[in-house]
Amino acid sequence: MFPLVVTQLSKSYGSHQVVHDLTFTAGPGRVTGFLGPNGAGKSTTMKILLDLAAADHGTTRIGDRRYRDLPDHARTVGVVLEPDAFHPGRSGRNHLRVLADISGFSLRRIDEVLELVGLTDAAHRRVGAYSLGMRQRLCLAAALLGDPPVLVLDEPGNGLDPQGIHDLRAVLRERAAQGHTIFVSSHLLAEVELLADDLVVVDKGRLVTTGALADLKQAAVTVRSPRAEELAVRLTAAGGTVETASAAGTLTVRGLTTDLIGDLALNAGIALHELASGAGSLEEMFLRWTGDEPAEGASRRSRLIPTAAATRKEAVRS
Amino acid sequence: MRWLRIVRSELRKLTTTKMPWAFLGVIVLLAAVTGAAVIWGTDMDGSKGFIATAADQQSLMAFAGNAMMGAALFGAVAVAREFGHGTVVPTFLASPRRARTVTAQVVAVLLAGALLSVIGAVLIVSSVALALQFTEYGFLVPAGGVLRVIVASSLTGAAGGALGAGVGALIRNVGGAVTVVVGLLFISPPMLIQLVPEMTDWVPSTLAWSISGVLAEPGVLAAIAAVAVWALVPVLAGIMATLRRDVV
Repeated sequence: MFPLVVTQLSKSYGSHQVVHDLTFTAGPGRVTGFLGPNGAGKSTTMKILLDLAAADHGTTRIGDRRYRDLPDHARTVGVVLEPDAFHPGRSGRNHLRVLADISGFSLRRIDEVLELVGLTDAAHRRVGAYSLGMRQRLCLAAALLGDPPVLVLDEPGNGLDPQGIHDLRAVLRERAAQGHTIFVSSHLLAEVELLADDLVVVDKGRLVTTGALADLKQAAVTVRSPRAEELAVRLTAAGGTVETASAAGTLTVRGLTTDLIGDLALNAGIALHELASGAGSLEEMFLRWTGDEPAEGASRRSRLIPTAAATRKEAVRS
Repeated sequence: MRWLRIVRSELRKLTTTKMPWAFLGVIVLLAAVTGAAVIWGTDMDGSKGFIATAADQQSLMAFAGNAMMGAALFGAVAVAREFGHGTVVPTFLASPRRARTVTAQVVAVLLAGALLSVIGAVLIVSSVALALQFTEYGFLVPAGGVLRVIVASSLTGAAGGALGAGVGALIRNVGGAVTVVVGLLFISPPMLIQLVPEMTDWVPSTLAWSISGVLAEPGVLAAIAAVAVWALVPVLAGIMATLRRDVV
């Protein structure tokens, strides 16, 4: 089992701090989505995890070791980092042969992964003639060469067609079910919502939230009432964190259960037109977490979202 | 032997692009030009004195200086483009011990530089021998002299490849690395001699002539050692830079 453990990680480029005291864990047997806006520090974190960049402070471990101390890197960690990390004049198959030479993989294994990613017919063509999706498939083939128990993937769905994304999801889910650790950075939030078990969300280099996606989604309750303002005061007094949504009379409440909110409203004689658990789609949650204004009907407030663990603790306390 | 596997991988990188063929093309062109010069070229006085003696012919065939420059350019482009294309990333992921990996890269380029240089020397010797058939002079260089020209080319080619690889790892940009190599081997030696005349014997071109048996000074062993120093300094600088810097 190889959990990925990032502890108090910090990294600056000149005076610009791109990762700030970042701590999280991605567990085995889970697909962990690594989310954040552009420039949030995701790629830098991955590069430090993989020993391609040095941290100013903090540690990263795969299992209980630094990446460089792993016994057989290609058989332990498969990586998709940059879809353009190819010589355009080299064929896809030769790119894999270069990697196979270092780690001692057979030609048969190259054929297997090419078949797995659907590149067998294009294997002898030079990579410069590949589409973005084909280069992405080749990256994935390279990552899977060693059949590793850990996959670290930066935007693996970039450029893939719907069938490719479906196949990728199937491969990752299957490997997670086998106990593998899957750590995926992606901007395709709908895809992450279908794929991820856990989330790590960063913004401006800092951890915004982390936890099981299901818990994060259940950590909020949507309430609609014609006396929303009055209800918001009572819910806040009861220990909840209340956000006012742009839709009239709609509140997003954290830290209180649906039962408790229903009872509070009943005792106050406030009618409820809607009471539902769930914080909306991942896209809505992401936009709230990262401070961008969400689409119509979603919350106005931002950056008040505690981590999932803190939310659970809060709920228990209330 | 993981290190040997990395060398093999680096050699495969070099042989699975068109770059070696481009350098081979240049070598063939150079050999053809040399042959043409033997057939149609003359000294200032209109004579063919430049091919009249065995020493003259050996001097004409001494490819070691060109080999060092060519192999250095080859090495600089081969390693710097690894960073440009990002293909160094999967290599360092599979082999994150950077000193070991860069050393393997240097050795692979060194071997390729030596091989290209031997091919170059053989082609030049063959071209001169063939061209002499069309002149009044025969091929006068003894077998030992021919062997020395070829061995000298392989040594300076190897050193040039290593030098270029070191510069490539240090600069990490193809244009910049090529510029530095040209500066090191082509521009800086005359300036160095201007500043310190005693350095005449220790610049790459003089050392290559000496190893090829064209010049007596400095001695062969001293010249080989000096060429090795010219190569080792950039190699060590490249390794140190790679250890200290982020890969991407």
